[in-house]
Amino acid sequence: MKGKLENRRVQLCLVLLTSLTAAIFYITSTQAQRPKTIDISIQRALVEEYCIGCHNREARTGGISLEGRDFHKVGVDAEIWEKVLRKVSTGQMPPPNMPRPEAKAVSQFVDWLEGALDHAARLNPNPGRPAVHRLNRAEYSNAIRDLLAVDIKPGMALPVDDSGYGFDNIGDVLSLSPALLEKYMSAARRVSRLAVGELTVKPVEERFRPGSGGGFRSRGERVSDDLPFYSRGGLSFQYYFPLDAEYLIRVKTPPNEDAREAAKSYDLRLAVKSGLRKVGVTFPRVGAKVEPAVPGPRRFGDYSGMSMSEVQALPMDLWLDGARIKRFEVPETTGIDFVAISGPYKVAGRGETASRSKIFVCRPASEKVETPCAKKILTALARRAFRRPVTDLDVNPLLAFYQAGRRQGDFDDGIRNAIEAMLVSPDFLFRVERDPRGVAPGTVYRLNDFDLASRLSFFLWSSIPDDRLLELADQKKLSDPAVLEQEVRRMLEDPRSAAFVSNFGGQWLHLRNLKTVRPDPQAFSNFDESLRHAFGQETELFFESILRENRSIFALLDADYTFLNQRLAEHYGITGIYGSQFRRVMLPTGSNRGGLLGQGSILTVTSYPNRTSVVQRGKWILENLLGAPPPPPPADVPDLKPHGKDGRLLSIRQQMEVHRVNPVCASCHARMDPIGFALENYDAVGKWRTEDAGTQIDASGKLPDGTIFTGPGELKKILLTGHRDEFVTTVTEKLLTYALGRGLEASDGPAIRKIVREAAKDNYRFQTLITIVTRSIPFRMRRTPKL
Amino acid sequence: MIITKKSLPRRTFLHGMGVTMALPLLDAMIPAISAGVKPVVRLGFVYVPNGVIMDQWRPTTSGEDFPFTPILQSLEPFRERLLVLSGLAQVNGRALGDGAGDHARAGATFLTGVHPKKTEGANIQAGISADQIAAKELGKFTQLASLELGIESNQLAGGCDSGYSCAYTNTVSWRSATTPLPIENNPRALFERLFGDGESTDSAARLALLDKQRSILDYVTSSINRLGKSVNRSDRAKLNEYLEAIRDVERRIQKAEQQNASLKLPVIERPTAVPEEFEDHFKLMVDLMALAFQTDMTRVISLMMAREGSNRAYRSINIADGHHNLTHHQNDPEKIGKVAKINELQVRMFAALLEKLKATPDGDGNLLDHSLILYGSSIGDGNLHTHHDLPIVLAGGGAGQVKGNRHLVYPKDTPLNNLLLEMMDKAGVPAENFGDSTSKLDCLS
Repeated sequence: MKGKLENRRVQLCLVLLTSLTAAIFYITSTQAQRPKTIDISIQRALVEEYCIGCHNREARTGGISLEGRDFHKVGVDAEIWEKVLRKVSTGQMPPPNMPRPEAKAVSQFVDWLEGALDHAARLNPNPGRPAVHRLNRAEYSNAIRDLLAVDIKPGMALPVDDSGYGFDNIGDVLSLSPALLEKYMSAARRVSRLAVGELTVKPVEERFRPGSGGGFRSRGERVSDDLPFYSRGGLSFQYYFPLDAEYLIRVKTPPNEDAREAAKSYDLRLAVKSGLRKVGVTFPRVGAKVEPAVPGPRRFGDYSGMSMSEVQALPMDLWLDGARIKRFEVPETTGIDFVAISGPYKVAGRGETASRSKIFVCRPASEKVETPCAKKILTALARRAFRRPVTDLDVNPLLAFYQAGRRQGDFDDGIRNAIEAMLVSPDFLFRVERDPRGVAPGTVYRLNDFDLASRLSFFLWSSIPDDRLLELADQKKLSDPAVLEQEVRRMLEDPRSAAFVSNFGGQWLHLRNLKTVRPDPQAFSNFDESLRHAFGQETELFFESILRENRSIFALLDADYTFLNQRLAEHYGITGIYGSQFRRVMLPTGSNRGGLLGQGSILTVTSYPNRTSVVQRGKWILENLLGAPPPPPPADVPDLKPHGKDGRLLSIRQQMEVHRVNPVCASCHARMDPIGFALENYDAVGKWRTEDAGTQIDASGKLPDGTIFTGPGELKKILLTGHRDEFVTTVTEKLLTYALGRGLEASDGPAIRKIVREAAKDNYRFQTLITIVTRSIPFRMRRTPKL
Repeated sequence: MIITKKSLPRRTFLHGMGVTMALPLLDAMIPAISAGVKPVVRLGFVYVPNGVIMDQWRPTTSGEDFPFTPILQSLEPFRERLLVLSGLAQVNGRALGDGAGDHARAGATFLTGVHPKKTEGANIQAGISADQIAAKELGKFTQLASLELGIESNQLAGGCDSGYSCAYTNTVSWRSATTPLPIENNPRALFERLFGDGESTDSAARLALLDKQRSILDYVTSSINRLGKSVNRSDRAKLNEYLEAIRDVERRIQKAEQQNASLKLPVIERPTAVPEEFEDHFKLMVDLMALAFQTDMTRVISLMMAREGSNRAYRSINIADGHHNLTHHQNDPEKIGKVAKINELQVRMFAALLEKLKATPDGDGNLLDHSLILYGSSIGDGNLHTHHDLPIVLAGGGAGQVKGNRHLVYPKDTPLNNLLLEMMDKAGVPAENFGDSTSKLDCLS
C-alpha cells in the first residue's frame, strides 16, 4: 500500500523540477540509515594529518587534491570522495610505509564518509544515463526468435561486437558500420523468407561439419544431448527447412589416410515439413556400455567390445527430430566429413510453422479485407519489435512494403516484404529511451513502463519483452514494486533466462575464453574437445543452479555439490560416475572441489598452454571476485628465468620470487601471487597434483596484510570472511554494469551500497540480489543531460 | 552531378540532423573501366602445394620462344602473355634449425618470405604477405580489399605438420605477421560477398535487388529522422552513425547501378552448392574471380589450388592415391608419372583462368592484358622438400609493363620476394624491400 502511494508520487514528479524530485526521494527513503552524527572537524583533522601531505593543490598525487574541500557538502565533490572511500575502506590508502590512523579512527572515517555520500545522493540522486543501445549479436538472435519464432541464431552471422567494462552489451561501444548494415539487410531477407516461406526460393545446399576427428571423440562419447544414448561420435545440428518439400540429405565420409578408401556419399531424399528440425548422424554403440577408462586411438574401427575382424560394416544412423529415418551401413572409416542438405525440391507449399502461426493473426477471407488484415498483422508485429505502442506513423510505411510485395506475389509475400523492412528499422535495432517532453537539462525522471519492460527483458533474457510485459506496461502496472518483483521472479523462472547465465555468467567469469584456450597437447594429452565441453557445462550448470535455486552468491565460492559426467569426474579423481550425461553430484567432505575456484573451466582459462600462471589466477580473483584489478604491467617486463644463478632449475615459485625482488613488480605481485599460489595444486587444466616437475607443490601464501594461508580451502575461507564485503560489492557492480549496459561511475556508489545493504537482509540470495538491482535508482530512472 | 532525384531530399535532411556531409565521392563512383583512364593492374597469386616434377616442368632452353614442356603445355596459347621464371627460392622455408615441417614452412613463406615460428598454439607468427601489402594500397579504391580463395575446404585446426599450426598450411595470405586469413572455398559464399544475396548477375535481377535495398534504406532513413526528433542531442550521435552507414551503402548501390548500366556482365546464377569435381569447382571459382576483377570489386586475389601438404586424390584423372603421398615417390617412375599428371591438371586449370581473363574485356584490352598473375609453389622438389628452384610462372601483361614469351633463368637462390616486390611496383604499390628481398626482380619488361 505504502509502496503504491510512493510510486504514484514519484510518477508525478516526472514533469516537475529536479529539486522537487529530490525532495520526494528523501521522503521515500527515510527508512534507510541517516548519516551518523560524528563531529566533522575530527574527520577534517584526520584528512589533514594523513592525506593532505600528498593530496594537496601543488602535489595532486594521483591527480587528487583534498585541500579546501567542503566537508559539509561532500555531494559537491562526490566523484573524488567516492575514490577516497574505496581506497581507504579497502586499506589501500594511506599507502604502506606511511603513517596511518588507528583502525578505529579509519572505520569511523569510513562510516562518516559513506553516510555523508549516501545522504547527499538521497537529496540529489543521479541515476546516470545509458546511451542509445544497438542490439548485440546475442540480443539480435534472441529478439528474432521471440518475435518470429525463427530460432536460427542469425546474430552469429554478424561481426563480433566490441565489449567494454567486461561486457558486450555496453551502449557506448556498440557501433554500427556499413558492413554491419549490409549484414542486417541480408539477415532480414533471410529471416523473413524462413518466417513466412517463399515459394519461389531456389534450392541451395548447406553443409554441416562435425568437430575435429570426423566427429569421433577420443573415447567415442555421445557428442550431443540431441543424439540418442549409446551413440558414438557423429554430429547433430538444427536445420530450418524453408518449405514443405523434398530435400536431399547426403552424408559424406572422407577418404581414409592413405586414400585407399574413397570418399563416399550416403544419400536419402525425402519429404520434410517446413520448420526448424534437428538432424543428427551417429553411430550406435554396440557392446560395452561404459566408456573405456583410457582414451583410445581415434580410429573409428577400433570398436569397444568387438575385435577388428568382427567388424564387417558399421551401422550409421540418420536422425530427424528424434526419430531414426535411415540406417546406412558404412565400411571402416575415419568418421564423417560433412552432412549436406539440399532443397527444396518438389515444393508442396509453405506448410504450417510456429513462425507462421505467430505472424498470421488473421487470414483475409477475400481480397477486399486483405489490407485491414495486413495492417492488423503488422501492427501486432511492430508493437513487439519496437517494444512500445505503435501508431499509423509506424505502420503505414510498413504497409507500403506490404503493398509492394503484394503486387509482385500473394498476400504472404506482401507480409514477408514488410517484415524484411521492419527488421532493419532503427526502432527494432536500437533501444532508445526517450526523455519526457519539455524537461529541463539535468532532470532526474522515472522511466516509463515500456522502457522499463525493455530494461528487464534485455537484462534477464537478452531479448525483447514478451506480451505479458508489454501488457503490464500498457496498463502502467509494471512500475508497481510488487508487480515488478513478481515479474522478475517469473522471468528468472522462464527458460529464456538461460541467456542471463551464458551472457552475464559467461562474460563475468571469462568462460567464453574456454572456446579458444589451447592447452599444450604434449603436456596435457588428456585434454580434448570432450573435456573442454565438460568444463563449460559444469560451470554453466553450477551457476544456473545457484540462480534457479535462489542460493546465496557465496555458494559460488563454496558449495558441497557440483555437476559432473564420467569424463570430468575422472579428471577430478571422483569415482562412480558413468556416462556422458551431466548430473548433480554431492562432493565428499574434504573434497578439493566445490565452488568456482575448483572448476576446470576457471582454472584452465587462467593458465598458459603449457603451465599454470599464479599471476593470471591471482589477477582473475582480484578483478572478478574482489573488484580490485591490478594495473597492467609496465612495458619491457623480462621473461621469467627458469634457471637460478647457479644454473639450477627453479620452480615457478622461485622464479616469481626472483621477479618480485624488483620493487616495481612487487607492488602488484605481492597482491596477486599469493592468491595464485593457493591454487597451485591444480594444474593448467585443473587436474589435482601434489608435485610439479618433481618438486612438491607449495600452496602457501602471505597477503600484504600478513594473513597466511595454504591451499584452496583456506583461500575460500579468507574470501568468505575477511573479503566478503568486497566480493558482494563486486558481484553487485558486475550485475549493475550488465543490467544498465553502461560503465559505472562514482555517482553510482550510493546505489551500489544501497543494493548491497538490502541484499544482506536475505543473505545475498541470487534472485533477491537481482530483484533489488531492478528496483535500484539507476535501473528505474534516468537523467537528462546537463547543459 | 550524378545524384538521383530520390536521394536529394534525404541529403537535405541529413544536413538538418547536424551531420557534416561531404558530397558523394564522385571519384569512387567512376568505374575503373572508363575510356581514357589508365588501365588498372590487378594482382593474382595462385598456389599449388607439394612442389612439381621439375624435370617435366622446366623448359630446356632459356630466352624467347622456348619450347613448352609436357606439364606447361596447356599454357602455350598464352605464350605472348607469360614468363617462366627459374632459379627463384624461398630460403626461409628451410628448416634453419627447426627440424621437420617443410610443408608448413612452404605455405607460410610463399608470399611472405618470412621464416615462421614453430608452434601449434595460438602464438603463430610469419609475416605480412605480398597480396595483403598490395590490398592495403589497392583496397582504397575497391569495396573489398582482397579475396582469399581456395578449392579445398579449410576445416583443419590444431597441428598439421610436425608441430606447426594448420594456419601455416591452410592459407598463403597473412594480413599481419600474426593474422592468417582464412580461405573461402564455397562459390555461393563468394557470390554473396560480391553481389549480395541476389539470385543472379542478370542485369534485371541485380537492378531489382538494388531497388529493393534502396527502398529499405529510404524507409530506415525516414525512421531515423522521426526518431531523431524525439531524442536528445547526445543520443542522436549514435543514430547519426547509422545514417553514415546508410550513406556508405547508398554509395555502393549507386556505383553498382552505374556499373549495371554500363557493364555487360556474363549472367551467372547464384551457385547453390560446392561442386563435387575438382575441375567444376575450380572453373566456377574462376568465373567469379573474373567477375570480381571486371566489376572492380577487388584488385587482389589469392587462390590455393589445394592447401599445402594436401593429400587430395584426383579421381577425375584416375589417380586414386593422395597427392602428398605420391610426391614422396622415391624415384618410383609410376609415382612420378602420376604426380606429373596432377601437375598437368593444375596447369590446365590455371590456363582456364587465363582463358577467362583473356575473354573478359577491360578498357582498351582484356583483363589478362592488365593483370599480373603469379603461379607457383614454395616447394620445388616435393620428394626432397626443397625450397629453391621453385616452379614459377608469371602471366599477364601488367598493362604493357611485362614482355612475355620468355623463359628467364635467375642465379640460384634469388629470392622469390624480389619478384613479389616487382609485382607490387608494377601495380603501383610503393615498397622498397619486403621480407628477404634483395632488389626488385629485373628483366621482366
